Amino acid sequence: MKMKKFINDPESLTDELLEGMALANSDIVEVRGHMVISRALAGADRVTIVTMGGSGHEPAQHGFVGEGMTDIHVVGDIFAAPNPQAVFEAVKLADKGHGVLLLVLNHAGDMLCGNMVMKMVEKEGLNVKKVVTQEDISNAPRSNSDDRRGLAGAIPLYHIAAAAAREGKTLGEVAAIAQKYADSMATIAVAARCATHPATGAEFGDLGDIDMEIGMGQHGEGGGGRQPMKTAKETIEIMANALVKDIPLQKGDKVFVMVNGSGATTLMEMWILYKDCVHYLESLGIQVVANMVGEILTVQEQAGFQLNIAKWDDVTLARWNTPAHTIAFHK
Amino acid sequence: MSVTATFLADRFTSACESVKAAEGELTEIDSHFGDADHGVTMVKIAQAIEDAVKANSGGIKAMLDDSASAVMMINGGSAVPLWNTWLDGMQEAAPDAEEMELDDLRKVFAGGLKALSALSKARVGDKTMMDALIPATGALMADGGTAEEALDAAAQAARDGAEATRNFVSKFGRARSYGEQTLGTPDAGAVSMAYFFAGLAKK
Repeated sequence: MKMKKFINDPESLTDELLEGMALANSDIVEVRGHMVISRALAGADRVTIVTMGGSGHEPAQHGFVGEGMTDIHVVGDIFAAPNPQAVFEAVKLADKGHGVLLLVLNHAGDMLCGNMVMKMVEKEGLNVKKVVTQEDISNAPRSNSDDRRGLAGAIPLYHIAAAAAREGKTLGEVAAIAQKYADSMATIAVAARCATHPATGAEFGDLGDIDMEIGMGQHGEGGGGRQPMKTAKETIEIMANALVKDIPLQKGDKVFVMVNGSGATTLMEMWILYKDCVHYLESLGIQVVANMVGEILTVQEQAGFQLNIAKWDDVTLARWNTPAHTIAFHK
Repeated sequence: MSVTATFLADRFTSACESVKAAEGELTEIDSHFGDADHGVTMVKIAQAIEDAVKANSGGIKAMLDDSASAVMMINGGSAVPLWNTWLDGMQEAAPDAEEMELDDLRKVFAGGLKALSALSKARVGDKTMMDALIPATGALMADGGTAEEALDAAAQAARDGAEATRNFVSKFGRARSYGEQTLGTPDAGAVSMAYFFAGLAKK
């Protein structure tokens, strides 16, 4: 597949996209190097939230900086973790006297970075707690969650954690709320067409004309569930069924559902998939109380989507229904 | 037999050149089960080390410390924190002097491996840079009566270690998701480490 992208120098992709993002959203964020800083940080008097991760997944995660979500996001190269020194600087900058929650998605580079940051944090005696999200069910069972990749499920968690911080909760309390959320959700992805790496032009996730792959990771790394394309309803049932079994969910439970488009899947398809998912869950007696449907954490021009389901209670729903004003998410 | 700062700087420069020359090969290997950025990242790392070595006017410890710091500032793949930690471990174990003995050189490399082993849980057989680094360090510690001989032995061990990764299933990193499909392809991180050691031995 030939890469056809409107870019300039592959070496300056991240810098250029951040400049454009900042120009288009100067009322919400300020960009300093690879740090995306919420304009709400300056006046914050609460636990603050720092995230980190590679570019190439827009709007994630830099698009979720702002009131009601994250305070600073540190951006790495395309699909690569940022350097630990930059994240350490961000943590120090973010601290408004109530401590900092560092949220990390489980990928090799991000975890290495997060571990190095925590070492530096401990050396300086800073008040920081790290919570890792790892909810991809396709590569390991729940009992072996260290092997599970962190996918788009982290994004709604940012809003929940921010709401808890705004309530005046302590860092320990906010971290516990974040951890509980991380433990009560599951995600599975499917890919139908491959994408290209914008810096190298190299294709990843080759699937041919017939197949889709359930369990595809968010950088083109596989998941082993290759099979011929199915309908939206069939695909959703396979995926939702697996998530329901994993969390696990039962009749009477209330859930949040996310259909996260990978980049080339149309909103038309996402709405059809969401409808099928809601009906499927309703048939199991499970009520969908909130949702996110759209492009949240993409994989360049990959066709496919991630389905995320989280078990919610009324407290979580109340936190969800608080204001947020970020680049890609508003409430 | 003395190992001078000049000698070490010369060998490190050669090691960096060796890695840079292998960019195409590293990119190709990494495109199979990674996102094809290992070549680009290793060139950044090698250039950072080379520049730090060139600019250094202090002794051996300063050279390694500057290299570690330079690598820490790079935006790239997982290799960045791993190489930074390795160099930092070497720097900690290095004497603050313009020359040292073979024994001290061995302590430097032992220190590097110790620091990296604390950060990376990977060991021999997991199909990572450790598959080249652990045998290379072992050979450096055990073989040769001179620095040149010890580095030669290390280079050979690194090359053999990298070659052996063809027979392993990836246990770490992106490639881990591919399981048995990774058999037959070497690990890019082990290959770049082997190129570095080849350059250290001026091969």
